Amino acid sequence: MNSNPVYRVFMREYKRLIAYPRYLVILTFGAVLTFVFFATMTDEGQPQRLPVGVVDMDGSYLSRRICHELNATPGVQVKEVFDNHMAARRAMQRGEIFAFYEIPKNTYNEVLQFHAPKFVLYNNAAYLLAGTLCYKQLATMGMLAAGGVQREVLRKKGVGEKQIMGLIQPVAFETRNISNPWINYGVYLMTTLIPAVIAFIALMHTAFSIVRERQRRTVKHWLKKAHGSTVYALLGKMLPYTLWYSLLALTANLIMFGFMDFPMNGSWLLMALNSVLLIVAAQCAACLIAGCINDPSLAMSVSTLYSAMSFSLSGFSFPIDAMPGFFQSFSWLYPIRHYFLNYTDIAINGNNLHQCWPHFCALLGFGLLLLLGAMVLKWQINNNTAEVKREVKKKQTVLSESEK
Amino acid sequence: MKKIRIILYDIREVLYAEFGRVFHDSTVLLIFFIAPLLYPVIFCFMYEKENVTNLPVAVVDQALCDESRRFIHKMDATPEITVKYKCATMAEAEQLMRHCDVHAIFFFPKDFATDLAAKRTAHVAVFADMSSFYYYKAALLGSNAVLIDEMHTIQLERYAADGLTGLQAKEQMQPVAYEEITAFNPTNGYGAFLLPALMMLVVHQTLFLGICLLCGDARENKRSLLVIPARLRTRCTHRVTIGRSLCYLIIYTPITIITLWFIPRIFQLPQLGNLYSILIFLLPFVLAVIFFGMTVGNIFVRYKVSPLLCFAFFSLVLFFSTGMVWPQCNMPRFWYNFSLIFPSTPGVQGFIKISTMGASLSDVRTEYIALWFQTGFYFVTACFSLRFIKKLKLFNIT
Repeated sequence: MNSNPVYRVFMREYKRLIAYPRYLVILTFGAVLTFVFFATMTDEGQPQRLPVGVVDMDGSYLSRRICHELNATPGVQVKEVFDNHMAARRAMQRGEIFAFYEIPKNTYNEVLQFHAPKFVLYNNAAYLLAGTLCYKQLATMGMLAAGGVQREVLRKKGVGEKQIMGLIQPVAFETRNISNPWINYGVYLMTTLIPAVIAFIALMHTAFSIVRERQRRTVKHWLKKAHGSTVYALLGKMLPYTLWYSLLALTANLIMFGFMDFPMNGSWLLMALNSVLLIVAAQCAACLIAGCINDPSLAMSVSTLYSAMSFSLSGFSFPIDAMPGFFQSFSWLYPIRHYFLNYTDIAINGNNLHQCWPHFCALLGFGLLLLLGAMVLKWQINNNTAEVKREVKKKQTVLSESEK
Repeated sequence: MKKIRIILYDIREVLYAEFGRVFHDSTVLLIFFIAPLLYPVIFCFMYEKENVTNLPVAVVDQALCDESRRFIHKMDATPEITVKYKCATMAEAEQLMRHCDVHAIFFFPKDFATDLAAKRTAHVAVFADMSSFYYYKAALLGSNAVLIDEMHTIQLERYAADGLTGLQAKEQMQPVAYEEITAFNPTNGYGAFLLPALMMLVVHQTLFLGICLLCGDARENKRSLLVIPARLRTRCTHRVTIGRSLCYLIIYTPITIITLWFIPRIFQLPQLGNLYSILIFLLPFVLAVIFFGMTVGNIFVRYKVSPLLCFAFFSLVLFFSTGMVWPQCNMPRFWYNFSLIFPSTPGVQGFIKISTMGASLSDVRTEYIALWFQTGFYFVTACFSLRFIKKLKLFNIT
């Protein structure tokens, strides 16, 4: 029989997992469900054909053409044409449309007379993504409409076609979106959120497994297998979960960067290392929390409270540098933050290790939390045994005195 | 009359017992009282700034003309962008981008100047860092404002060269005027969009997890979660359900008001709705969450710690299924129906419409009816699940 303590604890935990696989199955199912949820939801890349409205008080050839042209763009569809502002506003408040154009009376006449009628574009920024996308489409449409009128006039004045473009649009941007040319929303969300969820689950499951030892009063048996070393005990305990959740994270990455063709400009090996280190770092945090807090459910809820902020503090949606200074430093305590920075470095910027080593080191640094957790655990166990011994002694003395 | 008195008496007994259980459990206290008050405050501080400002960008100016310099100066003057580096070559700028020192590159090619002189369309290449949506947004927002301004300046010059000046040129340049109004979130900020939904979700998740914890605790210790007066035995589970839900309702009424009314006020988030319609709307929401939590707790939860393990990470899916990010009309049908299982979906949608967008109760009637429907449905399931596990004799009845 192998006498390596880590291996012995590992085998013990492995057998337990095989014997009671309920939570493993539930959590794996949860992770897969989350993956499928995001993958199928963001399938279109960007939300397409978002409902918008037009308040057409003009009812002219021009206003109708704007409606038609809006309908012809892939991003939006005119769901309803309103005849007054209030109706459109109510529809926006009900969430039926995300933006609307207001075309005032006599617009066409005024255009013909060069009186510059005013279009008003309302967009609902309470739904940030949908509102912004609608705004973008409607604003572009407005620009094109104005450009169209300009072109008509210039044509009638006898200006050549080439010159017309120079007059209508003297400067233009050519935008190149590096590593996400389609502005695919799924790429944003999934590349960070899926590993974050798996790390969250790994953290909770590791904490749970440590907590269960206390709850079932099997700490002694556990430590005996580890030759009394809490570090070995924790390492052996982590290992089955590390293997399983790393496998999940790697599979997720393989599907995303391989089959779903998400941009990947760097080394696959580094990305894999990044994923595995993320899982391990999250587990180390779990070891510290579960090692320090004696009460099982309290330890679990503290783990939850800690992990719940990981999605925000990864900085994938709202950049960390735009947050107050305290949160900028606080985010270093989250493995997912380092993972995200490594991901941008490797997959987007195509850097190699000599560029992104600081965050790999930071992820490795989470190992210190494991040592700290092991120390606290040892101290607590010693304290407990000392207390138990003291109590036993007390009882014995009381007994012997009563006998006397 | 006597029967009603007995019913009320039973409910009171259950209510008192449940209060005792809540206040004697440090974990439940943490989840019920600390988390829903602490998290909103933390998140409010976190998203205080709403938008990215002074995004560092690099500029590669190979045109070296009057217009390109003016363009760069104007960009530097926008709140969104700071021109941090002026590079001589693209390679240099690329290096900066790879090191994440800048988040966008503006490249003015050599023919920028010749195109402008020849009255053609001149092009500026923009390379945007897509690692975060907000870098991209800030870069485009700032540079677009400059682009439009610069376009007008050059257009005026060109019309002047063609003999059109003053009002004539202006009319020609802008045949249709514009006004853009960003409704309900004037700064177009992240915080004002995310925080109300997040607070709703915090209330939902803390209440739900707390109830599941209490169910698990009772079941784990084989203690009676019923505290049913002995004469009731297997009937009248609704009295127990009502008694317990009253306890949670009493605890969560002040918490909900603080989290969803006072904290948004203190942090000056957009709040157009009035307190009464918000309260009337939130009543079925809290009730639906309570009964939903009791149903799930009764059926699935066997240990005190398992709800935290199995349900906590699900908050993320819950948030995205509310339709605040990906609009509901674009969700696949299956996920849309799936999202209706949870009270958070109509809850968040309705709350945003009332509180952020100032809708009246009649505007959110779909959500309101859905919440009452969920309340009724989950109340029935909570009663039946209790009866079911009682039949399994999983509890000792005191």
